[in-house]
Amino acid sequence: MMKRVRAAAVFATAALLTLPVPATAQRAAAAPWQENPYPSTYRAPTPEDQLLRGATILDGAGKRIDGGDVLVRAGKIVAVGKGLVNPGVREVDARGRWVTPGVIDVHSHDGTFVRPLSDPDREASDVSDLSSANVADTWIETAVNSQDTSFDRALSNGVTTMQILPGSTPIFAGRSVVVKPIRASTVWGMKVTGNTQGFKMACGENPKSWGAESENDGPTSRQGVIAYMRQGFINARAYKLSLEKARLGTGEAPPRDLKLETLAGILAGDIRVHLHCYRANDIAGALALAKEFGFRIAAIHHATEAYKIPALMREAGTCAAVWADWWGFKMEAQDAIRAEAPMLERAGVCVMMHSDSPADGQRLNIAAAKAAGAGRRIGIDIPPEQMIRWITSNPARLLGLDKHVGILAPGYEADLVLWSASPFSIYAEPDLVMIGGAVAWDRTKPRGEPVSDFELGRKGAK
Amino acid sequence: MRKLAIMLALATTAPVSAQTIVVTHAEAWTMDSAEPVRDATIVIESGRIVSVTAGGEVPGGATVIDARGKPVTPGFVNGATQLGLIEVRSASETSDESSADDRNAGFSPARALNGNSTLVSLARADGLTRALVYPSPSRQPVFSGEPVMARLREGADILDRGDLAVYATIGGGAWTKLGSRAQQWTVLRNALTEAKRAAASDVTQGPAKGRGSGGPPPARGRRPGENPIRGVIAGDIPLAIQTHRESDILQAIALTSDFKIRVVIVGGAEAWRVADALAAAKIGVVLDPQANLPFTFDQLGARQDSAAILARAGVPVAIGLVGGSIHMNYNAGLALREGAGIAVANGLPWFDGLRAVTVNPLAIWGRGGGTLAPGSDADLVVWDGDPLEPSTNALAVVIEGKQVSTRSRQDLLAERYKDTRP
Repeated sequence: MMKRVRAAAVFATAALLTLPVPATAQRAAAAPWQENPYPSTYRAPTPEDQLLRGATILDGAGKRIDGGDVLVRAGKIVAVGKGLVNPGVREVDARGRWVTPGVIDVHSHDGTFVRPLSDPDREASDVSDLSSANVADTWIETAVNSQDTSFDRALSNGVTTMQILPGSTPIFAGRSVVVKPIRASTVWGMKVTGNTQGFKMACGENPKSWGAESENDGPTSRQGVIAYMRQGFINARAYKLSLEKARLGTGEAPPRDLKLETLAGILAGDIRVHLHCYRANDIAGALALAKEFGFRIAAIHHATEAYKIPALMREAGTCAAVWADWWGFKMEAQDAIRAEAPMLERAGVCVMMHSDSPADGQRLNIAAAKAAGAGRRIGIDIPPEQMIRWITSNPARLLGLDKHVGILAPGYEADLVLWSASPFSIYAEPDLVMIGGAVAWDRTKPRGEPVSDFELGRKGAK
Repeated sequence: MRKLAIMLALATTAPVSAQTIVVTHAEAWTMDSAEPVRDATIVIESGRIVSVTAGGEVPGGATVIDARGKPVTPGFVNGATQLGLIEVRSASETSDESSADDRNAGFSPARALNGNSTLVSLARADGLTRALVYPSPSRQPVFSGEPVMARLREGADILDRGDLAVYATIGGGAWTKLGSRAQQWTVLRNALTEAKRAAASDVTQGPAKGRGSGGPPPARGRRPGENPIRGVIAGDIPLAIQTHRESDILQAIALTSDFKIRVVIVGGAEAWRVADALAAAKIGVVLDPQANLPFTFDQLGARQDSAAILARAGVPVAIGLVGGSIHMNYNAGLALREGAGIAVANGLPWFDGLRAVTVNPLAIWGRGGGTLAPGSDADLVVWDGDPLEPSTNALAVVIEGKQVSTRSRQDLLAERYKDTRP
């Protein structure tokens, strides 16, 4: 492929101007893929200490407490249990209501697949860069419009953390960003820190269909897509080796290549792969490829046939980020079933709900309820305290945020939702959404807060 | 008496032949009142509801479905889908939703309906018994064709009734051939004016040969929606307009007084802004209650309480189009229930939510029914919980007096792989 040839040529003819640096100094320096040119400017809002009293608590770690209390102070969860002593903070009567960790969506395109989607967005979409099947050098955050109306809707429905991924047209689609859906002038004002850097890859119909279009230079088949990945990682392995040699002072440092160094970061285990894949054979092929190159695919996204190969998923330590009920719209989605999440859960596979949609991303709790309902049809009963993990602690772990969010336990950031009813009921409304111990959404406040710049002054819904 | 234990839908066996079906111990939502008949015995004979009686007797020889106190409702009706016309969206050879015939915009998708579609059996398993099926835009702006009602009985033939309306689509970018929506409205008005003139001349001169509803079609096919649009002028069928923006809704309202016709709005993201005017014009709205994001500039006003606002103003509201292209056909039953649940969560009274998926869509599309009143069509569903909760399963589905299968291809796949160990 053209772009690969170009990369190889640069590699071969590079002007090696880099001066030798002492090995000790090099060792101290971060690897090039660990550089963060776009640091977060997120400032936690002023926390409001609260004691939520008498709620049904699903703690996200698998425990349910009926009539339980949650104490939030200075942005953190301080205590979870029954009959907590109020140290003198605002007390919220949560009897009859439910408290869960904030919902985490690991698959969003908000800010790039914007609402409304107008012709300019359709013709030259920011969802993914399509200059090549390999756009591993791209960072989706440099495209995200923080004024997309979708962020507010997600927040008001209990979402407190979301990963924005590039689209699935390129094979190496670029880096993801994890954000809080709060009002900010730029995406960096929403950007989460402390997570593991994510990276999007894609297999199957999307990349091959793009490659098959005459003007594009990607592979045109499933086998071509896997071969393209393999060559990419072979090149990255060589590149990584050169970097290591240079670091040890036994070789020249290669010229910087943003694509190769990102893939090298995957091989180093510093960057996590989120792979868009539907069919069992596509998933199995990709898992074999990861094994060959000694890295773990963090999650298969969509994974509509993962239920056919649970042992492969489990042994690879790869999670499945799934829908409840998307199916049928393309050939590789024919065999999607609603009972997939409960089936994978029972098989011991790490599973979670994901959205891929600003509409369904508002209701991952309902997606979990639908999946569990389908599980009951085949005799798999998943209780609420286990279902909640599909939208809280499992996604937190996938993002590398499992020491920070996704669980209601002392020391965790106070990202939580106070629901008017069981979060698995369609009638449940998030009464209160807290991010970092601050109230980010309060249903008792008048409509219209917050409102994006886009909606401001337009005769919109608000 | 043959007693069928109602367990999960998968375990239910359908009776071989069932002239008389009786549902016992039902929480029966007949739709006569906002309260159910408790411990109801529902007697079904020859495809009709005979009676719904609290603690009623079970006639001998009947097939019995014991509802065990669970809710029983009329079969659910989706107010706007393309069910039976689409199989795999990305595979054009499996799609029959639009006519590409330049000569003829009058297009009924009736002959394309496929009851063997995997989408249909799944929707049936989700408690959907009927669905309005509308065609996509034709090559004759602003018309799509004539929607049909599908009835999700078993077998290939799921046509309930065709030619229910004339279906038009109007909005920003809807017709590149016409450009501005102003021109789209002009084309629609011209077609109505012409049909009105033709109808008037029929009254004075009798129907033109070959042009009346009884005669053969003209040699080159009828002109854009010609015969059906005369049905609109005659008041036999409504003009359905899929449109969203407030300014367009106002244009649609104006048609009712200018042409004395019945209009149905499909979509109607901003219909809530003119709820009172819609009520006064007796315009029903088929909407997607989950839509709260503007997919286009026409939908800036989309909000989830629009069903509640419209119903409060007296506008008949039915639910359809729920979840857009991802769900409206692929989950025509489940998404419908989820949509109704969202409407209720946002202020629509629960019973009105139930009406919006039973009585209202059938009334808006001119079919009537959707109740469990004696004499009505026996389409009903036994649920294992609140049917507006998407986690609820349909335990038994009866269509035209016959218990139908609630097993879908998804069930078969789940059963095949549920104990898989590899």
